[in-house]
Amino acid sequence: MEFLKKNPKIFQWLFLLIVFFALCFAIEVPETYKFIRGQAEFIKDPNQSTFVFAGKEVRYYAFDVFWRLPPLLGWLPIWINDSLFFLMNDWMPMEFWNEDTQEFKTRPLLLQISRNLTGFMTFIIELIREILLGGLETIVAFTSWDFIDANPWAELPGLPWTIVAAGATILSYKLSGKGLAIFAGLTMVYISIFGQWKPSMQTLSFILVAAPLSFIFGLGLGISAFKSKRVEKALYPILLVMQTMPQYAVLVPALVLFGVGDHAAVIITMIVAIPPMILLTLLGLRAIPPEVIEAGRMSGCNNWQLMFKVLIPTARRDILIGVNQVIMVCFSMAVISAFIGAKGLGFNLLLALNQLNIGLALEAGLCISLIAILLDKMSLAWANKQTDYFGNLSFFERNKNTIFFIGAFVIGIILAYIGTFLFKGTFNYLFEIPHNKGISTADFWNKGVDWIFDTFFVYIKAFNTWLIQEVLQPMRALYLRMPAVATIVLVVGAGYLIGGIRSALVVCGLTLFIALSPWWDRALVTTYMATFGVIISCLIGFTVGTLCFQSKSAAKFMLGVCDIFQTFPSFVYLIPVMMLFGITDTSVLIAVIVYATIPATRYTIEGLRSVPVGLHEAATMSGVNKFQRLTKIEFPLAFPHMMLGLNQTIVFALFMVIIGAFIGTEDLGQYILKALSDKNGAGIGLTLGICVAFIGLIFDNLIRTWVGKRKKHLGIA
Amino acid sequence: MSQENYFTKLKELPESIRQFGGLIIITLVIILSFLILNNIFGEGDDLVKRMKIEEDRIAEERKLNELISTLPSGILVTFDGTDHHRLSDEVYEKVCKATKLIPQRAIMGANFLNFRAHEIYTINGNKIDETFVEWDEQKNKCFAGFTVSGNNVGVDEKIKVSGEALSFLSTGIDTRIYYIKNF
Repeated sequence: MEFLKKNPKIFQWLFLLIVFFALCFAIEVPETYKFIRGQAEFIKDPNQSTFVFAGKEVRYYAFDVFWRLPPLLGWLPIWINDSLFFLMNDWMPMEFWNEDTQEFKTRPLLLQISRNLTGFMTFIIELIREILLGGLETIVAFTSWDFIDANPWAELPGLPWTIVAAGATILSYKLSGKGLAIFAGLTMVYISIFGQWKPSMQTLSFILVAAPLSFIFGLGLGISAFKSKRVEKALYPILLVMQTMPQYAVLVPALVLFGVGDHAAVIITMIVAIPPMILLTLLGLRAIPPEVIEAGRMSGCNNWQLMFKVLIPTARRDILIGVNQVIMVCFSMAVISAFIGAKGLGFNLLLALNQLNIGLALEAGLCISLIAILLDKMSLAWANKQTDYFGNLSFFERNKNTIFFIGAFVIGIILAYIGTFLFKGTFNYLFEIPHNKGISTADFWNKGVDWIFDTFFVYIKAFNTWLIQEVLQPMRALYLRMPAVATIVLVVGAGYLIGGIRSALVVCGLTLFIALSPWWDRALVTTYMATFGVIISCLIGFTVGTLCFQSKSAAKFMLGVCDIFQTFPSFVYLIPVMMLFGITDTSVLIAVIVYATIPATRYTIEGLRSVPVGLHEAATMSGVNKFQRLTKIEFPLAFPHMMLGLNQTIVFALFMVIIGAFIGTEDLGQYILKALSDKNGAGIGLTLGICVAFIGLIFDNLIRTWVGKRKKHLGIA
Repeated sequence: MSQENYFTKLKELPESIRQFGGLIIITLVIILSFLILNNIFGEGDDLVKRMKIEEDRIAEERKLNELISTLPSGILVTFDGTDHHRLSDEVYEKVCKATKLIPQRAIMGANFLNFRAHEIYTINGNKIDETFVEWDEQKNKCFAGFTVSGNNVGVDEKIKVSGEALSFLSTGIDTRIYYIKNF
């Protein structure tokens, strides 16, 4: 009793858990309840109940409300879908001049805007693609097909791979020195000799359009949010949802609005990449000391000058880290947007995965990862590079990189010219190594996979069966056994105990949205998979992080490993697990664990590092040993930071679970995948995406609130 | 005045007790809200009954499907004198209950003997309104039929053609009516 008086929080949590379990046991599983398989849900059943809201009929299996809430928001996806179709096909028809037919044509306004936008995007992508790979679309856009027929010389020649490789090497040298330059050179040579040049340049052209546009819009919106509270308030909920929304889910409405192809992929990539840019711009501008702003004003700057001559240069580092984030998001989207027809490495990877050609998938995946790491390192080096304003340099010293590039350009052209003689009658390998004509290790990897299967089949199968039957299925059954009322009591109660009534109301709203949607069961499956992944990831991440923290070099090495792993697009993680475990839930969960372990490890190391050195010394002076210092001082102080890692781990796990639908799960992700191939799927896809985002936001809200309070309590806020 | 005292007393309570009280209130509010919603949307026993009937029907259908899969593919008859598989009385009833489809061939055969039905059928683009296969408990016979409707020279007509299902076609997956004796 004394203990409970001293620790009232424990008593409150105990009470909450007792209520939760009491409700779970008190509410029986209804006789009519069964976890319905995906296919069966579309069959009209006379036993389903119906209601009509806003003119939309919703069918559902009615249960005891304590068990499952009726899907009162079931009309929302239908309504979103109908609204999109109305906007695209019927809203505000106007007369527009058609260049091809030379007459006015009636078209709805939004359709016209969308077509113009996609036309513009296609043009820019083609332009960059043709600079890298050659072609004639751009010339035709300015002239005509007749012109190009009459003047075949006007076709744009592509840049030889040697020039692009040399350019990347020189730029890397300028930004970071020899190490990065060697890495850039090797990467470019690798993608070229492995015959991945064309798809790589297609991917790069897509990123070279999406990234700058995302940067411009993100910076603009970030500045607007910094200047106006209203804009910030309007953007805040969107930013919040977009942070936890699976990128996959945004694809579906994009299909309706922008169609299929590279242009749609660029637009959708921008939608996903802009939020981190806005956030980092805002963060950078907010961190500027008021003295700097004062100094700017004192020097007579007007608003424009203050922003672009003082504030943005001061916040340069954060803004450039935003650029880095934009590039990383673009890479992860390069694979995902292959679902809506984006060409390049992502498409090849997806095709190889579909054919279960692990070797080819590995080659494409490695290529994407290498380019992603290269661009990540380059952009970070750019962010951290200090401009030397006072260096007294000669003309050559100032322009040596440009001179070297011009030299490389000339040599590259000469080499390509020599190549025309060397490789007469075949492909000019000094100009471009065609796709699938380079070296390939696919066979080697495929044989390796076969060997692994032949040798370890019994053990892998035994592990698979054990994991699925003994761990995953019971865990899933437990989650599905939770009555809606018990789940809501638990979540809202946790919100109340952690953050008070405000937090309770927020998580209540988010949970209710999911509970009132038609996919509560699926959301429970998603949560179960994510929870399983998060628990294992945290165990691994916290242990590895703590062990690595004991040695400075090990910590540095591990952070480097985390950096590299973090740059891999999420789809790449599916390749090795599919190699080992085939198409099973185990594959998805292992991919989730590997992917989600990264933030858990990183934040553990960073959290432990954030403990002030003074405290270490004070502890040593007090005579504590290493273990006592870790458990009594470092862990309690680093715990809030580690919890932020947990937050990231949850988001990563959710993303990977959703992508795991590609392998075959029965959660929300599977429905998003289905919505992708359904012409009426835009509403469903978006609503499902919001559901996943809300699961993430519930945890985000609880963890962030707790971290804030804990930091205040520890005096480190 | 008494209300003010009450609030002051509440405010004076320790933080942990106030928070615990809040937790209890939140829990009760949630459970009460569910109770109200259950009164509005809960379908309870009625739904269970309906679902049970549906489940029985599905179970029965599954049993019949199992039976059908054991039957030989081809024509199944209810009478002697042919080389086709002869159904026993018990199996005849089960096959009848399991059969849903009446293919065009059987409809055309039945129409052939009903001139007016044939006329409406051909005038209206070979359209059939609905088909039915029923087991007559009193006569212990299987009856199948269909209705045709449409405009016949300015007159809207609807004719029901029905007769004993004398033979069935087993495809190995399902059974269909093969011949309707409507004379």
